[in-house]
Amino acid sequence: MPSPQMPPIAGSAVDPPALRPAIQDATIERVAPQNVRARLEALKADGYAMLLDLGAVDYPQRVPRFDVVYHLLKLMPGAATVSQVDTPQRYRLLCGVAFEHPRVPSVVDLWRNADWAEREVFDLFGITFEGHPDLRRIQMPTHWEGHPLRKDYPLRGPARERSPRPQFANKSNLVAGTPPSGRTAEALAQQVRLRQAEDGRSEERVPE
Amino acid sequence: MEVGPGQFFLAKLDDVARWAQSSSVWPLTMGLACCAIEMMSVTAPEYDIARLGSEVFRASPRQADLMIVSGRVAQKMGPIVKRLYDQMADPKWVISMGACASSGGIFDNYAIIQGVDTIIPVDVYVPGCPPTPDGLLHAVNLIQKQIREGGRGGILARA
Amino acid sequence: MSVLGTVSSLPLEPQGAQILSQDGNAMVLSMGPQHPSTHGVLQIMLEIEGESVTKAEPEIGYLHTGIEKSAENLFWTQAQTVIERMDYLAPESNSLCYALAVERLLGITDRIPPRAQQIRVIIAELTRIASHCVWLGTHGIDLGALSIFFYCFDLRENILDVQEAAGGARMHPNYVRIGGLQADLPDGHVERLDALVKKFPGRMRELRALLQKNPIWQDRTIDVGTVTSEQAVQWGLTGPALRASGIAYDVRKAFPYSGYENYEFGVPTRTEGDAYARFVVRLDEMEEAMRIVEQARAALEPGPVMIDDVKVAPPPKETIALSMEALIHHFKVVSEGIRVPPGDVYQAIESPRGELGYYVVSDGNNKPYRVRTRPPSMYNLQALKGIAPGNLIADLVVMIGSLDPVFGEVDR
Repeated sequence: MPSPQMPPIAGSAVDPPALRPAIQDATIERVAPQNVRARLEALKADGYAMLLDLGAVDYPQRVPRFDVVYHLLKLMPGAATVSQVDTPQRYRLLCGVAFEHPRVPSVVDLWRNADWAEREVFDLFGITFEGHPDLRRIQMPTHWEGHPLRKDYPLRGPARERSPRPQFANKSNLVAGTPPSGRTAEALAQQVRLRQAEDGRSEERVPE
Repeated sequence: MEVGPGQFFLAKLDDVARWAQSSSVWPLTMGLACCAIEMMSVTAPEYDIARLGSEVFRASPRQADLMIVSGRVAQKMGPIVKRLYDQMADPKWVISMGACASSGGIFDNYAIIQGVDTIIPVDVYVPGCPPTPDGLLHAVNLIQKQIREGGRGGILARA
Repeated sequence: MSVLGTVSSLPLEPQGAQILSQDGNAMVLSMGPQHPSTHGVLQIMLEIEGESVTKAEPEIGYLHTGIEKSAENLFWTQAQTVIERMDYLAPESNSLCYALAVERLLGITDRIPPRAQQIRVIIAELTRIASHCVWLGTHGIDLGALSIFFYCFDLRENILDVQEAAGGARMHPNYVRIGGLQADLPDGHVERLDALVKKFPGRMRELRALLQKNPIWQDRTIDVGTVTSEQAVQWGLTGPALRASGIAYDVRKAFPYSGYENYEFGVPTRTEGDAYARFVVRLDEMEEAMRIVEQARAALEPGPVMIDDVKVAPPPKETIALSMEALIHHFKVVSEGIRVPPGDVYQAIESPRGELGYYVVSDGNNKPYRVRTRPPSMYNLQALKGIAPGNLIADLVVMIGSLDPVFGEVDR
């Protein structure tokens, strides 16, 4: 069963990308958020025509906390045979984003497929992409609170106990989903109180 | 049933209604994830659910009487499943196919509703991840048995 | 915060739609998420004028499963079970890519036994054919060609029989493991495989005969959903969609893995970029895949199928009763999991949908730190926003089918 209580058995590395073994899977570069846009424009001009993927990783023990990772591919467009494509090359650009200012410039105008990828990173990590035309949640429902893939977000969601099974009228047209009540509301309030006590600061908000 | 003079069959109307209902259970296409692929295999020639009476899978809930929830129900999809269930006309039955629909399955996390029976009433649960098409056929058989022998079938059926 | 969300949060209302209507026929229509032709749970907010689409905004997330979060809380081998359920039409592809990624982090890529690599290739290619069978069957149904569904699924049943005999389950067998395979092929399996290989060309002829020259099919798919090669690269398309637009990028050729460099196979490419081209490319791919299966089958050599390293894989069951060390190692691997040295790696394979990549980060522990998926279906589906406007709703159905999205992967 998945459980955040399964203990780690070895010392956890704080910054894994810095300790990586010598695996030749891509050219790797780390860049600061203020330079990432310029660097990506330069790479695109250099022939890295395809943005393969845009993802993020959360390293809460490290400063800066988030890593936004861009995977690029150098292809020559219009090539009709494999030999003309001539051994495509991969590039990996890592950008460390601080927790206090989780903002990165958007690259939707450079590669159109960054659209949904940036929305997903915003949804699941809370990193804002400046210049994105339509930055809203994509995987979670619109009114969801919290960013699930952050390491401090509980696996089962903050308000969930063993799912309440409501008494059910058979011809029901009840609105689906009930607001938390009773034990669920209490559990939620308890979690919020605990987290506030741990952090020692007032109610944590996602920096906008 | 008995054959009376003049060669009439006599039977209770309720029995006939239940026989008719159980012989033509039309499922709603509620195919969500991997179990949906096994549900498609059930309509394929090897397992052939049509011979049990489920000749067509209807996309419109108004025209279906069995909802086979096949796959994991995500947070966004929960209200939709509920709305579709409400739109189905009585009498209606629900098969919760697979571990994810029955109880959340292997996804014990924030994103999956831990069992579709938290939002709609379920008649038959099918275990498996995904269940083999045989399992789903057995479930449809059980639904047919439920219709014929008791529960919500017949001419006075209510959901 | 409620567990389910309330009716008012249903994303069925148009978000920021702007309707410009000349003759009052404009409408905003929500196509899905319950729809017979959207290949899964997809909602498309359509702005239409009569029957033609002016804007199509796909809304995804209806199958968001939190797989990446679940994987962070499971052991490395357990995480594979959830990861396998992403692309549920080709589950062994997910396993293979994940196993390759972790093996790279462990540094054991050269020590995977050759028999394991050959069987992995056989499984991967059979999975490709099975996945294309589902694609073709459902694509046909969407366009009204109902018979091909039955032919395709019959072929798929034959392939699943072979997969089930090897892996133990029809779907999600968890057969490919970190370090090799879960177990060797059973007795008589090679004969079963040979029978399938023999039956396949006849089946392929039937599938082609049904649709490829069919004038109705051609009318509905030629020049529909055309993607130029520049657009394909802009949208990040990979796989058959990219190759149908003229760019012959195939991960098996560009960055070979698992012994693919030893097999001879072609990369079918076309230049038109429309739905028909994607259709023909996938059919050709099925035949190339069977060629690879034949070559891998011929290359099968006897030997172990799992690496002989107790830090990676538990020792074989037979040795547990005989050796104390084997028992201890088995216990440790099963109860504590394996440890993967810290680092990050990006591993990609050619899944039936395109380039499936995993960016795996390990912090040195017994659980993955992060498994970021590069989902080919999500990027393929995103192109719908660009190619849908100006077409009929019926053409939209053709386009979705020809892009072949799988929502377990799009939403994860």
